[in-house]
Amino acid sequence: MYAQLLTFGAAFLGSAVESVEALTIVLAVGLTRGWRAPLYGTVTALVLLGLLVAFFGQLIVTRVPDLTLKLIIGTLLVLFGLRWLHKAVLRSAGVVAMHDEDRAFQATVSSLQERRQARDWVGFTLALKGVFLEGLEVVFIVIAVGGTSRGLGVAVAGGILAMIVVAAIGLVVRKPLAMVPENTLKYAVGVVLTSIGTFWAAEGMGVAWPLDFVSIAILLAVYLAASRAAIALIRRPAPA
Amino acid sequence: MKFVRAAAEEVIGLFVGDWSQTAITVVLLAAGWLVLSRLHVSGLSFLLALALAVQLVFATVAEARRARRKEATSQR
Repeated sequence: MYAQLLTFGAAFLGSAVESVEALTIVLAVGLTRGWRAPLYGTVTALVLLGLLVAFFGQLIVTRVPDLTLKLIIGTLLVLFGLRWLHKAVLRSAGVVAMHDEDRAFQATVSSLQERRQARDWVGFTLALKGVFLEGLEVVFIVIAVGGTSRGLGVAVAGGILAMIVVAAIGLVVRKPLAMVPENTLKYAVGVVLTSIGTFWAAEGMGVAWPLDFVSIAILLAVYLAASRAAIALIRRPAPA
Repeated sequence: MKFVRAAAEEVIGLFVGDWSQTAITVVLLAAGWLVLSRLHVSGLSFLLALALAVQLVFATVAEARRARRKEATSQR
């Protein structure tokens, strides 16, 4: 139950963050050039992403031995999670600018206005590319957390639910979801994925954790404390 | 072709932000694998997590220092 909740939560949060970024692109294209082309682009991207999940998800669940799977996916999750955590720490400490959906929206709109003379496939391609590239991270998270915990269905459900929630909110407000605390979400997902990754990587190395899944809570505390320490060290004024 | 290249860059970018940090993480995991797969001592896996956490602190602090130095140089 604990593992299933963690799987669902990680897939939901990861998918929510990326869906917000994809929504900004689709909204910018739709509001600038009309809705037909970006919607076709979005649907095509979602079908491609669904095929990737179905193909790789089934492949790793049915073909790869359990320990090898845990070692490989655990290692990749650690790399992936640490990258998100690294960026979130630098953003929280003020070294890197926060991701701003309003600015991303304006940048996409102005790039489209410069190309107004081009044919409508520009809108299709931009939406397809935006949704597909943002979705690749969701595909990885879903396959990694779902495949290794044998809860692919739960992870897929978490990913899809987040996408539906974000799309529904976007449909209602019809503007970028700038109020979503993206950095905080990425920070949280980074901590969770790094912890899960470490847990599985060590299991793949042939070690059983002292308290089994409960050890993930200790790992969460370790990575959270490390990232807070990093933020505090970065914010500390340099000696004169 | 541009799309395929962007997708390939995105896939690599999923796991690699800073090449040196990635290399250190992989070395730590490989060292952990060498030790843990031989000793099978469960508590030792927490040492691996601690090493990765310390690496995160060093990597982010070092990058912040680099960014500040660069900013100071460009302001001069």
